[in-house]
Amino acid sequence: MFWNYLTMAWKVLQRRKFFTFISLFGISFTLMILLVVYALYDHTVGPHTPEKRVDRLLFTSSLYLWSPQTENGGHPSYSFLEHYIRPLRTPEKVSISTGHGVAVAYVGNTKLELAQKYTDGEFWQVLDFDFLEGRPYNPQEVRAAAHVAVINESTARNYFGAARGVLGRTIVTDEVRYRVVGVVRDVPASRVFTYAEVWMPITTSTQDIHNAEYMGSCMAILLARRAADVPAIQQEFARAVRQVPPPTAVYKWCTEVRLYAGSLLATTVRERLGEDGPDDGVVWFGQAGAGLLLLFMLLPALNLVNVNVSRIRDRSSEIGVRKAFGATSGALVRQFLVENLFLTALGGALGLGLAAAALHFINTSGLVAYTQFELNGRVFLGAVVIILLFGLLSGVYPAYKMSKLQAVQALKGASNPA
Amino acid sequence: MLKHLFTLIWNRKRANALLIVEIFLAFVVLFVVGSLLVYRWQNYRAPLGFAYEQVWEVGLDPGIQPKAERYATQQQIIQRIKSLPGVRAVTRTGSNTPFSNSHNSSNIERPDQRIFRPPSNVYRVDDAAGDVLQVPLEEGRWFDRRDDGAPVVVISHDMKELLFPDETAVGKFVVADGKKRIVGVTATYRADGDFADPKQAIFLRNGLQDTTFEHLETLLVRVQPGAGGALEKQISADIRAIGPSWSSNITPLAEARDKQMKTVLTPLVALVITCVFLIVNVALGLFGVLWQTINQRRSEIGLRRAIGASAGGISGQILGEILVVATFGLALGLLVAAQFPLLGVLGVRVGVYGTAMALAAGLVYLLTVICALYPSRLAAGIQPAVALREE
Repeated sequence: MFWNYLTMAWKVLQRRKFFTFISLFGISFTLMILLVVYALYDHTVGPHTPEKRVDRLLFTSSLYLWSPQTENGGHPSYSFLEHYIRPLRTPEKVSISTGHGVAVAYVGNTKLELAQKYTDGEFWQVLDFDFLEGRPYNPQEVRAAAHVAVINESTARNYFGAARGVLGRTIVTDEVRYRVVGVVRDVPASRVFTYAEVWMPITTSTQDIHNAEYMGSCMAILLARRAADVPAIQQEFARAVRQVPPPTAVYKWCTEVRLYAGSLLATTVRERLGEDGPDDGVVWFGQAGAGLLLLFMLLPALNLVNVNVSRIRDRSSEIGVRKAFGATSGALVRQFLVENLFLTALGGALGLGLAAAALHFINTSGLVAYTQFELNGRVFLGAVVIILLFGLLSGVYPAYKMSKLQAVQALKGASNPA
Repeated sequence: MLKHLFTLIWNRKRANALLIVEIFLAFVVLFVVGSLLVYRWQNYRAPLGFAYEQVWEVGLDPGIQPKAERYATQQQIIQRIKSLPGVRAVTRTGSNTPFSNSHNSSNIERPDQRIFRPPSNVYRVDDAAGDVLQVPLEEGRWFDRRDDGAPVVVISHDMKELLFPDETAVGKFVVADGKKRIVGVTATYRADGDFADPKQAIFLRNGLQDTTFEHLETLLVRVQPGAGGALEKQISADIRAIGPSWSSNITPLAEARDKQMKTVLTPLVALVITCVFLIVNVALGLFGVLWQTINQRRSEIGLRRAIGASAGGISGQILGEILVVATFGLALGLLVAAQFPLLGVLGVRVGVYGTAMALAAGLVYLLTVICALYPSRLAAGIQPAVALREE
C-alpha cells in the first residue's frame, strides 16, 4: 500500500513539472537556510574541539558591580578568580585565563597580528586540544613563569614557514621571546572562550596578576567530574560569590557583586544579551528563535499550501473516481500526506546538498577565522525534524480540503467545494 | 470597471484568502528588510566628516608600570613618534577612535538651559587632532596654543543645530565638564562609522592639567602616504624601548573601517539573501496558482469571448483581478507597517519607513504584474469554440 502511494507520488511529480519545481525550490531553499543557521549554532555552542566535553564544562566571564541604581560591567580580575573561584570543591578542575588579546609578531617587515590568550596550566587539562606535535605547558612551568608558548598550526606556518618541526624554536611576540613547546590544530574563532592563535603562561603577562581589584580581563572555565554535578557546582559557585564583600572602598554605591557560571550556550547568550541577573536569557533566546523559525517557515509553507491546493483541484476528477469507488476520506488524506512528505523529503535531500555547498562557500570565504562549518549527525537530525514539520504544516490543509470534495461535484469538474 | 473587479474579488475572498495572506507577508518582509537597507544606505551616502586614510590608531597598554609614571612615559612616546620620519602629526585621545565601536557619550547643555537632550559623542583630543583627522570646519577655527588660558571646545554641525539652531555658536558657552567656550564648528562628524546615524559631537581640548594616562590611552597618528610595515615596526619597537612593560597595537583606520563594515554588512547580506529567496518563492507560487486558475476558468473565459469580449479585455481582467488581490494584501500590510514608526520597532528615522513602504508596495505590484503577464496572455489566447466544446 505504502509503496503504491510512493509510486503514485512519483508519477504525480512527473506530470506537472513546473509545480514540482516550485515545490522543490521552496522546500530545498528553506531547508538550506535553516540548516546553515543550525550549523552555525551547533558550531558555536555544540561539542567540538576544544570543548569536546561541553556537558561537563561551565564558563564564567562577565562580572557586574551592581546596585539598584548603578552598575559597572566588565570581566573579573585574575586575583578575584584565584581568590574566590579557584578554591571551589565540587569542580574537578578550575582554569583561569585572560579574554581576547592581540600579540604582534613580525616576519621581516610583515606584521602578524596574533589572537593571544594567557592561561594557567589547568587550561590544557580542562579542554581537549588536538596537539599536532609537542605538549601543553604544565602548572609547574606556569608557576615558574617560563617563557613557553603553544601556537596553532597556521601561526607555525605563517611565522616559521612550516607547520611541523617547530618545537624548541623561538617566536618573538611584542618583543618578548617565547619557546614553542606545542602546536595545536587551528581553533575556530567562533569558539569565543578558547580561541587564540598563541597561548602563553598567564604569569608571563605584563598584566599585574596580583592586583587586588575585582575588575580585570580574565575568565574561568570549570570542569565537572560528571555532567550531573553541574547544578551542584552552580550552587557552590553562587554561595562563593554571595560571600564576596562589595568593593565599597572604590565603588561606594555597590551593594552586590554579580558573577554567574553557565554552560557554553548560557554564557554565550548571556554575553550577547548583556544579561546581568540570575536569568541567563536562554529561555528568551529559545522562544525568540522558535518564533523566528516559525515566521520564516510560514511564507514558504503558505506558498506550498497554495500550490498544493491548486494541484488538488487539478486532480479533482481522479479524487472523484476514487471516492465513487468507495475510498474513505481518511485513506485519501493519508495518501495525500504521504505524497506531500515524499515531496518534502525529496526537497530536503536537495536542501542538504545546497546547505553543504553554502557552508563550503562560507568556509572558503574566510568569514570567521579557521572555521570549518560542516553538517554532522545533529544537524542531519535537525533537518529530518524540520522536513517532517514542514511537510505536515504544508500538507494538512490541502488534504483537509481534498477530503471535503464531494464525489459527484468532483466528477463534474467543479473545483471549489461549497 | 474597477469597482466591479473589487466586488468580484470580495465575493471570492475565501478562495483568494491564501493568496492575500501570502502577499501580505511578502509585503511585510520587504518592508522590514527595505527599512533596514534604506536606513543603512542613506547613512552610507552621507560624508564621514574626517579623512581616515594614512591615519593609524596606536593602542597603548602600560602593563605593570605604576600609575603615577604612565603619563610621563606616554609623553616621551609621543615626542619620539613625532620625531620619526614619515609621521606628520600625533594626537592623544580616548578609546573612542573612529570605527572602534567604542563610545563616550554624555549630555551637553547650554549654561542657561536645563533641557533633556539626546546624549552626544564626546571626543578628547589635542590641538593636532584637526590635522590628524583633517576635520573640515564650517565656522571659526580648531583650538591651538592661544587657548592655553581658557577652556575651549569645538562642536559639530549637528550639535550646533541642536543647541544653537538660529544663531552663531562661535563665542558662546556650553557645559561639558565645566563651562567651555566654543571656538569652532565642524561639519557633521561620524566617527561611529559609515553606517551609523549622524550624532552630535563635541571635541574637548586636552589641557595641560590632563596629566593622567587612563582616559587618554590611545594615539592617532597621521603618516605620510606610502608609510607601511617598517614604520609600524619602528614605532612598536620604540614604545618597547621607552617603557619596557608597555605594549602597543597599531591599526590603520582603513583596516578598522573594513573590519567594522564587514561586521555590519555580513548580517545585512544574509538578510537580503533570505529575503530574495522568500520573494522568489512567493513569485513562483503566485505564477503557478494563476496559471492553474486560468486552466480552471477556461469555460468562463470562453463564454466571455463568445459574447464579444476582446483578447485585450480578457488579459486586462486577469491582470486587474490579481492587482486587486495584491491591493487587499497591501492594505493589510500597510496597517501593520504603520505600527512600526508609531512603536519605533526598528529604531530608524521616521522618514525611512515612508520610503521603505513605497519601495515595498512598488515591488509587490511589480512582482504581481510580472507573475500575471504570462497567465493573462494564456487566457487571452483561449479560443471560445474550443473552450466551450470542452464544457
